[in-house]
Amino acid sequence: MSTTRHQLVSPLQLVALATAGIILLPLGYVTAQALSADPAVWSRLWATRIPELLFNTVSLAGSVSVITLILGVSTAWLVTRVEFPGRRLWEGALVLPLAMPTYVLAYVFSYLLGFGGPVEHLWQLIAGPQARVFSPHSYWGATLVMALDTFPFVYLLSRSALLSMNVSFEEVARASGVSRLSTLWRVTLPLMRPSIAAGIALVILYVVSDFGAVSLLRYQTLTYAVFQQMTGRADNTAASILSLLLVVLALIFLITERWFRQRSRFYQTTGRYQAPQRRQYGWLGTIAVTGYLGLIVGAAFALPAVLLIQWSLSPEALATIDSRFFGFIWNSGILAACAATGGVLIGLPLAYLASRRPTMLNLGCLQAAYAGYVLPGPVAALAVLVLFTKLAPVVYGSVLILIVAYVIHFLPAGLQSLEPALQHMSPNLEEVARTLGLGIRATWRRVTLPLVRNGFVVAWVLMFLQTMKELPATLLLRPVGFDTLAIRVWMEASEEYFQLAAPSALLIVLLSLPALVLLVSKDWRAA
Amino acid sequence: MISDHSTAPRPSGEGTLQGNLFTPASSVLELRHVSCAYETGRPAVQGVSFAAREGEILCLLGPSGCGKTTILRAIAGFEPVRSGQLFLSGQLVSSPEVMTPTESRHVGMVFQEYALFPHLHVQDNIAFGLHHLPRSERASRVQEMLRLTGLDGFERRYPHELSGGQQQRVALARALVQNPVVLLLDEPFSNLDPDMAGRMRQELHDLLRRTKTTTVLVTHDHDEAFAMADRIAVLNQGRLEQFDTPEMMYHMPATPFVADFVGQADFIPGTVSHGIVHTELGEFPDTIDSKDGAAVVVMIRPDDIHLVPTEGARSHVLSRQFHGSENLYTVSLPSGQIVHSSQGSTSVYQVGTTVELRVLATHTVLFRQEESTNTSGPAQPTTRKH
Repeated sequence: MSTTRHQLVSPLQLVALATAGIILLPLGYVTAQALSADPAVWSRLWATRIPELLFNTVSLAGSVSVITLILGVSTAWLVTRVEFPGRRLWEGALVLPLAMPTYVLAYVFSYLLGFGGPVEHLWQLIAGPQARVFSPHSYWGATLVMALDTFPFVYLLSRSALLSMNVSFEEVARASGVSRLSTLWRVTLPLMRPSIAAGIALVILYVVSDFGAVSLLRYQTLTYAVFQQMTGRADNTAASILSLLLVVLALIFLITERWFRQRSRFYQTTGRYQAPQRRQYGWLGTIAVTGYLGLIVGAAFALPAVLLIQWSLSPEALATIDSRFFGFIWNSGILAACAATGGVLIGLPLAYLASRRPTMLNLGCLQAAYAGYVLPGPVAALAVLVLFTKLAPVVYGSVLILIVAYVIHFLPAGLQSLEPALQHMSPNLEEVARTLGLGIRATWRRVTLPLVRNGFVVAWVLMFLQTMKELPATLLLRPVGFDTLAIRVWMEASEEYFQLAAPSALLIVLLSLPALVLLVSKDWRAA
Repeated sequence: MISDHSTAPRPSGEGTLQGNLFTPASSVLELRHVSCAYETGRPAVQGVSFAAREGEILCLLGPSGCGKTTILRAIAGFEPVRSGQLFLSGQLVSSPEVMTPTESRHVGMVFQEYALFPHLHVQDNIAFGLHHLPRSERASRVQEMLRLTGLDGFERRYPHELSGGQQQRVALARALVQNPVVLLLDEPFSNLDPDMAGRMRQELHDLLRRTKTTTVLVTHDHDEAFAMADRIAVLNQGRLEQFDTPEMMYHMPATPFVADFVGQADFIPGTVSHGIVHTELGEFPDTIDSKDGAAVVVMIRPDDIHLVPTEGARSHVLSRQFHGSENLYTVSLPSGQIVHSSQGSTSVYQVGTTVELRVLATHTVLFRQEESTNTSGPAQPTTRKH
């Protein structure tokens, strides 16, 4: 019998520590640069840009959260508590807007709402030839696009809260003589509160770090400003200061989201699950509900998708589908494959240690890997850029620097699949393998890996597809002339060449669909 | 009455796996003053010693958090030992200096949740640890286990396609097919409905006897421990309270905690004079040689108290619980002391009936007063269900 002493520091532990360090380094560097900046730069920014940018960012986040709250909760309630023909179809369709990158939706809406666009024509038929709709390049335009694109977050979390809620709570309320409506207000909604709050925090996080929509709609937010500082003025110090603000803002909402998610667990009593009773709607109700859901899904997904298809089939667009176009696909694909592979390899030791040996150190390493969450694309790009120009200027302008930025940026998305895969696997399974005479390595090979394989595949695919549609970091870090699908959409759309942008945009939407299925099916339970 | 804690190691007939020529003890499993702790300063197990003989079924019994599962995990090599020594087949496998990895210990383990590999068929689950054997031998061993556990015909099923009882049998088969030195069972029946648990208990007992498997079983249910075990180790707050046969445990509990935990018990206060304990229920012999005037408590089980309805008696029935085969009466004595009495299922007395109590004192157990005050004292008679 071989005998070992307990190991204090395993090689795996060292790998995890190194990874966490590498991920935190750029973030730390940006922070350092911001904090060590000349006070004059700070005061100049405070006097000029920051108040406006903060106001714009926060007010956009505010209006988007109100709208997503209404859309998300109402749609979730309809598909879980009401029975009407086509309910199951709508249940799935309401998630589809997540497949639309914000820059695609923004570009479609700048056509729809634009000067002389179809909505204006329609409106002028009703309100007279001088009537105008609000410009898409405005606060309201950005609000509309962001709300339509992000309400599924609130929908998904509210829906799962409604489904996992113990029906007994509502039944007890009804049995105590409380009316249906009153039960909704006094029992159902309060019980959903943590889930709704988590959804809203996610929406805000998304809005705050979005670049695609605000850049196309020319609405000044912090994220957009970081990009402009880096490209227009090549002022990395000012960009660092704005980034730091942005990171703090994002961090606040990330913590809010985590906190509410944690709390929502207490609200879901375990025990025997009972499907909620659904009220049958008559034909009048069905028409109203279908109209409402149709309007939302139509505006957020169906209509843009139809337009993209129509544009893609136009002669101008078809003419662009040549070897250059396939070159963009190849560029996108190879970048995304490298980033996804890197992400899985880096995320694995972190997730494994955190789930099997949850010491403070290991959990800390894992949390460090989630830093990508609070690094909006331009900030991740800035962080990697300033670090590499300092440490290894040779790689500047190479694909490598871009891949590093992707991995840091999208590692959280991968970890979210890796982590549960490992956590759902009871440590007893590994332990029992040990009692059956297998060593650590054999246990890994024959038990752990086969069981977490699916989580790995999902993590890889998610990171791959997220990278495919990434825009700001690619714009900032790509080698000269190295264009991807997302870049093409953005560049053509910025020039309002709607048809030319369509094939790339359509391809991105189509590729996003499987990612969406993966993302949602993880904890999807049909109502 | 205090049982011998460290059972003298006796030579086990057959030699175990390795040639253990210079063994310090020839018990299959021995713990010597073992302590374990998840955090320093808060030991989960403290100074526990016991040993299991070849083929013996041993139960670790105690309330949740008493450290019984920790002991099981220490035996399996999942938890390190802070002090003391742990021997398997006479070889030191755990001590503060030594930690033999689990895979070299040849223990079988059945987890509470069975931990069947969800990606493998039943037969592959059972054959999991037999990779070193040639294919044909592997198949025949698996077939034998399937037959032994009554799982014929299920070999191509996946774990999720099996009922709870079948899953447990697969987990058992997987552990037993290795011919483990000792089989470790963690609350094996807690995930089964009571009916199934009763049947599996019987089946498991027969199977372990037939295969002569030395077994350590963890449970919080004294009925389960009584039904399964050759000997029981009762644990409380990480310490061994008593290590004994089920019968001794029930009739001669070493501490009030054990008395209370392994069945319903009432504790009646009394005073000693001239070697006789005087209580409200009558007189009992002083078995612990107390001084005159010493305060003691007498433990009495409900089945030792007989009720006789008597006009004008000073005790009366407070309540009756019908348990099918018996009626459990709660009786108030003149002093207000509460005692319980188990009567036949046909002896039905109304609440308020005045009764005389007859105590069949074939085996009363005495504790000194201070011993019992820290657990369920005489002032608060226990209400643990039978």
